[in-house]
Amino acid sequence: MTNRRLPALGALALTAALALPALPTPALAEDTIVFGAALASTGRDAREGVLTKEGYDFWKDYVNAHGGIKVGGKTYKVEIKYADDETNPQTAARLVEKFIAQDHVNFILGPYGSAASASAATVVERLKVPMVEGNGSAEKIFNQGFKYTFAVLSPARRYLEGIIDLALHEKVRPKTVAVVSANDSFSIEVAQGAADFATSHGLKIVYNNKYPADTTDVSGVVSAIKATNPDLILNGGHLQDALLLQKGFKEQSVNARAFGYSVGPDTPDFRKTLGKDADYVYGGTQWSPTAKYKGAAGFITDSKVYAAEFEKKYGHIPDYHNAESSATCMAFQYAIQKAGSLDPLKVRDALAALDVVTFYGILKFDSRGINIYKPMAVNQIQKGELKTVWPTGVQSAKPMYPTPDWSKR
Amino acid sequence: MAKTSAVLRKVGMGGITGNRYAFYISCAILAVLLVVPSLHNGYLENLFRGVLMFATLSLGWNIIGGYTGYVSFGNVVFFGVGATVSSVLWQHYQQQNIVLAIVLAAIVAALMALILGFPILRLKGHYFGIATLGIALATQEIISNIDWLGGGSGFTIRQAGFFSEYYYAMWAICVISLVATWFIARSKFGYALVAIRENEEAAAILGVDATKYKVIAWMISAMMAAAAGSVFAFANGFIDPPTSFAVDNNVFPIVMAILGGVGTVAGPLVGAFVLTAINETLWSKFPQIHTLFFGAVIVLVVLFLPRGILWLLAVRGGFRGFINSLKAYRV
Amino acid sequence: MNLFFQILVNGILVGGIFAVVALGFSLVWGIMNIINLAHGSFLMLGAYIAYVLFANYHLDPFLSLPIAFVVMFLFGYLIQRYIINFVVRAPILTTFLLTFGLSLLLINAALLVFHGDIKGITTSYSGANFSLGPVTVPWSKLWTLVAALVITALMQLFLTGTKTGRAIRATSMDIGAAQLSGVRVAHLYAIVFGLGSGLAGAAGVLVSLSYSLQPSMGDPFLIKAFVVCVLGGLGSVQGALVGGILYGILEAFGSQYVGTGLQDAVALVVLLIVLIVRPTGIMGKATA
Repeated sequence: MTNRRLPALGALALTAALALPALPTPALAEDTIVFGAALASTGRDAREGVLTKEGYDFWKDYVNAHGGIKVGGKTYKVEIKYADDETNPQTAARLVEKFIAQDHVNFILGPYGSAASASAATVVERLKVPMVEGNGSAEKIFNQGFKYTFAVLSPARRYLEGIIDLALHEKVRPKTVAVVSANDSFSIEVAQGAADFATSHGLKIVYNNKYPADTTDVSGVVSAIKATNPDLILNGGHLQDALLLQKGFKEQSVNARAFGYSVGPDTPDFRKTLGKDADYVYGGTQWSPTAKYKGAAGFITDSKVYAAEFEKKYGHIPDYHNAESSATCMAFQYAIQKAGSLDPLKVRDALAALDVVTFYGILKFDSRGINIYKPMAVNQIQKGELKTVWPTGVQSAKPMYPTPDWSKR
Repeated sequence: MAKTSAVLRKVGMGGITGNRYAFYISCAILAVLLVVPSLHNGYLENLFRGVLMFATLSLGWNIIGGYTGYVSFGNVVFFGVGATVSSVLWQHYQQQNIVLAIVLAAIVAALMALILGFPILRLKGHYFGIATLGIALATQEIISNIDWLGGGSGFTIRQAGFFSEYYYAMWAICVISLVATWFIARSKFGYALVAIRENEEAAAILGVDATKYKVIAWMISAMMAAAAGSVFAFANGFIDPPTSFAVDNNVFPIVMAILGGVGTVAGPLVGAFVLTAINETLWSKFPQIHTLFFGAVIVLVVLFLPRGILWLLAVRGGFRGFINSLKAYRV
Repeated sequence: MNLFFQILVNGILVGGIFAVVALGFSLVWGIMNIINLAHGSFLMLGAYIAYVLFANYHLDPFLSLPIAFVVMFLFGYLIQRYIINFVVRAPILTTFLLTFGLSLLLINAALLVFHGDIKGITTSYSGANFSLGPVTVPWSKLWTLVAALVITALMQLFLTGTKTGRAIRATSMDIGAAQLSGVRVAHLYAIVFGLGSGLAGAAGVLVSLSYSLQPSMGDPFLIKAFVVCVLGGLGSVQGALVGGILYGILEAFGSQYVGTGLQDAVALVVLLIVLIVRPTGIMGKATA
């Protein structure tokens, strides 16, 4: 073949090769409701992505073992398709589009993280397929006027309020607060909420700054916080930064009456990595095994039972990521049953009108789609174990306040 | 780069003016791609829009990296700036007009390249590369800290009713970029760029105003990247600094240009197609380890196709000639 | 004022790590003209070696330093001899991409083996510190700096004092003359690359003491290595040390006085200014 024809054939072959992945996958067995879930299994949020998947799978296995979901007389099994979004919102959007356009899933379960959720929300809005998520709490997502995205978790700004509230009820009132956050949508809102709550209760903000979201070194931030000598130190961020900060506070002997993190203390990794250095740390939590809700029929009704069953299956006590992910699926479960159909619009309307109590708390969405009706709690790590310490109604232990100096531990 | 060009000339790759047939076939492929939206398959539309986007980025990179020989490791900054322009237009001015976004993005990027070009293009080789990388990283961080530009959390963009308009816009940009490259390759400007690549000092002595041409080349490259970025922002519906300045958007265009053939007209387009095909296939078949395979693919490509596919199609001397040319790189 | 000194100390302490990271990178770049984008992943592998030894055998990371160095040296030697050597004389773009592909491979292999979750090393002395006036100095960071200085000194001794070291320097100056003098260049290049990756591995061990471990941990350090090399000059041991500490201080002050969100931007802007004003770096030679 001459040089001329080769490129032509090559180009044709390329275009054909490109179209290969687009061939439709064979239709699934009937009587199955298929969910698509783009979750991080690599990248910055890999760990949290695993926790989310555990929550989804736990629900799926329970429901399938207990007769599936009844839709208008027929019983359906549940299946969840997963794909790795690499902690990249753009990939999450692509995957969601692929799930809907290519794999013809029925509904979408949300990714982990506010950025990925925001990205996925634009896709489901355009393609008109309902998505429920339990791991993206930035209110920014819900101020866009989207109709097809719902979040079962409380908004980001609530995460650290409980810790401030707790401290305000102690004998010696704190006076100053340092707020530090990563530069991403979730963390910024967490910090803003904490700062607003503090100011409205008469506390003074002595430090309020942001660090790059993927920073590896926080010693400068730690030094600066130390110089302001705050009573409370609060962080909006994710597991990685929480670890770095807590380590840094010990290294530079930064003492405070309370250290609070939005994400971190609840995860088993935080306690495992830091060992004793994790003690006394507070974390805002969306759920706790001590929650006293009595859930509706169709799933486990009791938080304690959920925790026990989950631990049997996955080898660790569930943290709030696990629970809120299961709750995400439950929202669909109840909505589908109420709608009596798998039609996306009907299910969407059922979700918008949902009002049911579960082991996780109330599942109800405001007009924007986020769950402002469920309160948050505060956990504290005490001697290596996670205890719920606030509000008093769901306490499993009293808060150990104030936090002793590093030198006195 | 001198060695490369000497070899290129020897293997007769239509010289620097570009292989006519490769160009015509590229145009034909692009014409075919026009029908994609009518297939009403969201996945395919996404896929090919991605190919067009990367092809544009790669063509843009090729102007400064391939023809002029100034290897930029930070052209993603223009893409990111373009995306940010779109997001700002929507967030603060409720503008969804895609043409307005493209034009504004191109202007901003061209200005950036103009201002930064004079100091930065004085650097040679590796240093220029690092400087561009530094600019990209610094710009990303600066934008993350300016709330009006979206800050760390970025903006959501309301998408137009007719979603395929973004596909057509990307297609148009790609066509313009390809045709522009074709004309540049055959123009005095193009010859000047190659002369700069081969031997900048000699070119200057012979009267080529190297600085002017380099800056213009970078501006063209910037405009292509920014245009692609501005359309991408609307198509994606959500833009934050990590998304718009993603490493992939920086590296893939370069890999594609190499894969297809650096310093050729159609090379970047070919590279974009092939690499996307490979990536997509790996992604579908091996979702958990596709990046692993992708890394292996890159390694193999660089080892065995260092001058790209188009060159492979033009090499003389058969298999032995091919092996001999590879040996030239060894120690 | 106290804060000023604390920031300064922070910067110096972290600068030691940057110096070791940059040293290996700078050697490979300066002597072989290869920008090794897999340098960050070599660092990551070194860190995981330290983690595995610590988690399973309770071996203190400082004791794992020589082990990580040797393992990564061999690893780098083999990679250069049998993969990178094929394109050693190719345009910079080719080696750039090859090492990038390599980096993807290594990071994803690590992901498969170690999974994406964040690991850390917490020793018995983690967090222990002492006060130097108004400044708090963490012990582990101080020892890290000491280790970095020792490593740098050893490298300098090697390059100036041993036969192989002199051969390396000769080859970097004139490869033809070196070959005529009997230097086996391919073997030598592999040694240099092995040194580079060994140093990266050692840096990884030092990093593991203060930072979290995950497969993608190496990339931020790669960028810093770039900057330090430019600041300090290519192929120069003292340059890497001076550049590393200087960069650490720059980043610390930038973070404090310009804005914590802009710490990288500040350093990068300084990099750009240095590049424009004095491209060969503060301690580099006059030839580009």
